[in-house]
Amino acid sequence: MENIVFENPGLLWLLLILPLVGYWLFAKDKKTRPYLHYSDTRVGGKLKKTWKIRLYPVLNVLRLLCIALLIVALARPQTKSKNSRKNIEGVDIVMAMDISGSMLAEDFKPNRLESSKQLAKEFIQARESDRIAIVAFSGEAYTQCPLTIDHGILENRLKELQSGVIPDGTALGDGLAVAINRIRQSDAKSKVVILLTDGVNNAGSIDPLTAADIAKTFGIKVYTIGVGTRGLAPYPFRTPFGIQYQNTKVEIDEELLGQIAEETGGRYFRATNENNLKEIFNEIDQLEKTKIEVVSFEHRSEEYKPLLWCALVLLLLEITGRLFVFKTLP
Amino acid sequence: METSELLKRVRKIEIKTRTLSKQIFSGQYHSAFKGRGMAFSEVREYQSGDDVRFIDWNVTARFSRPYIKVFEEERELTVMLLVDVSASGDFGTNRPKRESISEIAATLAFSAVQNNDKVGAIFFSSEVEKYIPPKKGKTHLLHIIRELIDFHASKKGTDIGEALKFLRNVQKRKSTAFLLSDFMASGYEEALKIACKAHELIAIQVYDPLEAQLPDWGLLRLHDNESGQEIMVDASSEYNRKAFARYYEEERRQRENLMSKYGITHASISTEEDFVKPLINMFSRL
Repeated sequence: MENIVFENPGLLWLLLILPLVGYWLFAKDKKTRPYLHYSDTRVGGKLKKTWKIRLYPVLNVLRLLCIALLIVALARPQTKSKNSRKNIEGVDIVMAMDISGSMLAEDFKPNRLESSKQLAKEFIQARESDRIAIVAFSGEAYTQCPLTIDHGILENRLKELQSGVIPDGTALGDGLAVAINRIRQSDAKSKVVILLTDGVNNAGSIDPLTAADIAKTFGIKVYTIGVGTRGLAPYPFRTPFGIQYQNTKVEIDEELLGQIAEETGGRYFRATNENNLKEIFNEIDQLEKTKIEVVSFEHRSEEYKPLLWCALVLLLLEITGRLFVFKTLP
Repeated sequence: METSELLKRVRKIEIKTRTLSKQIFSGQYHSAFKGRGMAFSEVREYQSGDDVRFIDWNVTARFSRPYIKVFEEERELTVMLLVDVSASGDFGTNRPKRESISEIAATLAFSAVQNNDKVGAIFFSSEVEKYIPPKKGKTHLLHIIRELIDFHASKKGTDIGEALKFLRNVQKRKSTAFLLSDFMASGYEEALKIACKAHELIAIQVYDPLEAQLPDWGLLRLHDNESGQEIMVDASSEYNRKAFARYYEEERRQRENLMSKYGITHASISTEEDFVKPLINMFSRL
């Protein structure tokens, strides 16, 4: 009942006549109603004011309420319930994440992988109407999560990503191929792979450029992101004496990544710190707009009936009151 | 009221009241009003028990049998009718009280004229509305009746004291004054006291049964004809009906006590009943 609208709200102004009617009913009562012309009313002081006399004005109140209800009913109150159906032309996105050991480098805080996961999560949350899949790769590639609209699962699966579960290395071509395989048969208008890596292709059985060709064949855009600062980055090494850090030169095959992107109609980005990466994700978000067509229906149902029933009951109450209980003479 | 209609009603009242007044007052009226002084009427033979003082010796000598002088009360009486024409008279269940009052007044006037008395009238509401000086004769009587039927008061209230005061002012000689009213007024005791010394006062109250008893008629809207006050009365309440009757009884008792205190003959006549009987009763009590 909270969504009540009036079809003819202008008629509600009629409620303004209520004070007039009230005035007419109460103040003019003496003039409009007949009185028995009696010889002497001094006796009145000796008589009790019974409940009938006290309650008699209630009849007028009933009349007023009845009129008010009629006016409200006249304004056609309707309850509104909205049914909306979204026609979403979503984008299918595969996030291909590099989980090689080099992703543990701490030039991003806390490290590249965690930072990327965090930002990827934000990216996923922002694109709630798209199907997204997650592919992880390092020396090999596997699907962490197939294409799904269920963002809860996606986020969980993303959190579970960690380095070291598969042989180390950077199989860019394999990662891309697995990603393409995931998205290949989708009928989405726009198919996108976001390839996030921090190294040079040094493993796998598929050449990255071949994979890019395949992507192009299927009409898949590949955005490539190179993660890592320029120059040296601290890599953690596990030694018998705990974790030791060693500064290593960051090597990213930017040329290859750029080529892949260019081939497939995507873009290559280079992220040198967290903010940078965040901006990149934002940019991709902007580039891949989702078309949403919302068709909403408004269902209105007339609610005048209970009002009219109430008015009728009040009117009958008043009439019965006047005819039987509060019978007046003349 | 149209003149022809008025004349018709005058005629009707005349006929009705003439027969009535014959009926009622053939005996009582005569002896009821004590005249001033005695007027010689005739002589008749002395009968045992007659007062020897009234023996007419001249006639007795002429017929050599005792004759006695018979006196009659002097008939040069003045009857004043004090008629209440206040607005409260407009009320009545079947007919207004004013009509009853008019009829009673007309009857009294007829009787007076038949007895060769002078009749005058004072119409009063909260002030004296009209004064018709006492005169003899049938023409005068018809004039009074005409006024009784077709008089419209300019004021609504009732002031009995004012009327009695006026009576004393215009009528210096002792008269028989009939006070015809519903007595829905107060504060006339003093005037009553003074007036009843100067005049033979007879109070006739006319009431309507609805003024004595409140019927179970639900909620009643009442408009006071005199004060214009409007009230609503719950007549369906047992308590109210009793209180109403008690109020009327109380008023009546007070009034009757007052009348008795000053030796004023009084009667209450309902608009519903025939007024002849109560009048006869009243005169027989004189």
